[in-house]
Amino acid sequence: MDVKRQQTIKRAAEAVPGGTPIEKAPDPDLGHDLIPAERYTSKEFMQLEWDRVWTKTWLLGGRSDDIPEAGDYICTNIGKESVLLVRQKDGSVSGFYNVCLHRGNRLIPEEGLGSVAEEDGVFRCSYHHWAYSSKGKLLHIPDRETFPQGAPPCGRVKPVKADEWGSFVWFSLDSDIEPLLDYLGVIPQHLNPYHMERMAWTRDVTVEWDCNWKASVDAFSETYHVQGIHPQLKWYLDDVNVQYDCYDKHNRYLIPFAAVSPRVQLPSIMPPLIAGMMEAAGMDPAEYEGPISGIREALQKFKRENGPEQGKDYSELNDEQLTDDYHYTIFPNVSLNVHSDDVMMFRQRPHPTDPNKMFYDIWMFELVPEGEKWPERVRHQIFRHGDKTIGQVLDQDAFNLPHVQAGMRSEAFEGLWLGDQEIRLRHFHRTLSDYIYGNNGPGEGDI
Amino acid sequence: MDLGLKGKKAIVVGGARGIGYAIAELFAREGCDVAITARNDDSVKDAVANLKKYETKVIGKGCDVTDGDEFKAWMEWADEELDGVDILVPVTSASGGLGSLKYWEKNFKVDVMGPVRAVDAVIEGMIERKHGSIVLIASTSALEDMGGPQGYNALKASLITYGKQLGLAHGKDGIRVNVVSPGPVEFEGGNWEMLKGAMEKFYQSLIRKQPEGRFGKPEEIARAVGFLASPAASWCNGSHLVVDGGFTKNTHF
Repeated sequence: MDVKRQQTIKRAAEAVPGGTPIEKAPDPDLGHDLIPAERYTSKEFMQLEWDRVWTKTWLLGGRSDDIPEAGDYICTNIGKESVLLVRQKDGSVSGFYNVCLHRGNRLIPEEGLGSVAEEDGVFRCSYHHWAYSSKGKLLHIPDRETFPQGAPPCGRVKPVKADEWGSFVWFSLDSDIEPLLDYLGVIPQHLNPYHMERMAWTRDVTVEWDCNWKASVDAFSETYHVQGIHPQLKWYLDDVNVQYDCYDKHNRYLIPFAAVSPRVQLPSIMPPLIAGMMEAAGMDPAEYEGPISGIREALQKFKRENGPEQGKDYSELNDEQLTDDYHYTIFPNVSLNVHSDDVMMFRQRPHPTDPNKMFYDIWMFELVPEGEKWPERVRHQIFRHGDKTIGQVLDQDAFNLPHVQAGMRSEAFEGLWLGDQEIRLRHFHRTLSDYIYGNNGPGEGDI
Repeated sequence: MDLGLKGKKAIVVGGARGIGYAIAELFAREGCDVAITARNDDSVKDAVANLKKYETKVIGKGCDVTDGDEFKAWMEWADEELDGVDILVPVTSASGGLGSLKYWEKNFKVDVMGPVRAVDAVIEGMIERKHGSIVLIASTSALEDMGGPQGYNALKASLITYGKQLGLAHGKDGIRVNVVSPGPVEFEGGNWEMLKGAMEKFYQSLIRKQPEGRFGKPEEIARAVGFLASPAASWCNGSHLVVDGGFTKNTHF
């Protein structure tokens, strides 16, 4: 690799009891074939994804704490569909399609949060006031006797499976799908120690991007691009000593933060982003007397010692999790950077009709120290690519992706030529193939 | 022009990287015996190994200049190994920092007391031998605003005053003292290389202040230091030379 020096990154041999597993998972044999570019550009493949992925997997719907009371709901869209995820009186969440059985109107016109608590849990279509229960059961048709054929015999809007894990609400359009926890596999064991339920919204943004949703998943699945489009991060993280782990459907990588990339010489002064990380933890960079290469471990030690009095319980986290980025992809479309004090996650949704577009949801949460007031929820913002900044690093990704998509459509580009650092992309495509073509993979003529 | 450096003995404090290394290299290339130090022993070893190609005596070992006793012992060791020192250039710096009072302490210990202790260690010998040349390294940050009010800028300014008065006091002893103030200097592993990546807007705003659209190179500072340190600059004493490619805008009358 193109490095200037060798760097040893200390990782604990084993996790704290009940903590996130640290050990490297064996690399699966995923071959070295091209990933066909058509997967990113073709409408046929997009339709296959709809039929065999989006309607057959558990999907992230929203945050549990956004719907605390009975009658509170999340309205969220996937492809051409929109669903309602509603808190019930018994505390569970029920889901149903956001559509009125009468003339097809959306019961709730736009994505977002709301409540029908004041309507006694009744969803009333705005068009002709057909009324539905909080589980989607048809309750009332105005002028019922003018429908000689009677009410629709199903008696309800088609249900959607809904469940909760990790302070998030999940749903599936597949009524026969395995239970959520089975689907998530290793993920709860890995992420429960972070206690995401102790974190509050700091950012809720949706941006329409001019690329296929998978181009976005790819962009967050390797650190090989750091030296390309995020040069400033070389003085913040070690993009070379990265551990890649592929599990059943999901995968992760572990990136040392508060470290300088071996691609550059160690500077003699404190890199500003690392100083910022120390300051955020309550550590004074000016007081630090050790070498730049010792900051990561010093910061871990400081957080371990000072966490409790800052109201931050790190007891279930391993030392390296106090500094490093543990990045997971929950198949198909959730990418999360989890840190001891915050989570930065992306939900990458396909456009309803155009494979060259997607919706990029940025969800960020920050640990609320014990005893501190739970902050007011941030407002959801929606804009188009390029209208506003989403922060330097994400802007760099966002600037790049439309060009990637444009190039993928070129006659001169056959497919993705991936290296070892991009094993998560191969693993993601393997899982995608499993869903689309079954476990024997694509056949003759398949994309 | 013959600088007359051949056969001289030079100590460069902070000579393992960047400007300091370029100064040490110039001395070695011109035929001087050289002693260097820096905090990191490994980087000193690498630098010594690289400088040996000029076939003069080059020695060095790691030393923390903020530890008065350790640094004094190092200076005595270097002086003895070189059998008396003709040229002293203390370069070490704790670099800038804004916000915490701690930065003032660090800059005082490294940027001020480093050179002061180094001078203290060699000045008696130079007086006895009736000759010596000292070049202190200040900074254009002492002259014009740079990154906000901070210890680095103010304490680098103190070296300009100290250097002038040191030269006045010891002219009669055959010792010349001059000060060089470099502007921003970029090199691999240097702070500006990092800031170019890590604080790109700040970096670019400063590049725009350079008439040639680039920062200095270590060897461009080293040549100015080498001249002032050499017998060729026999009539330069108490001078302050800004070497910044036009980075600073003030006219000196």
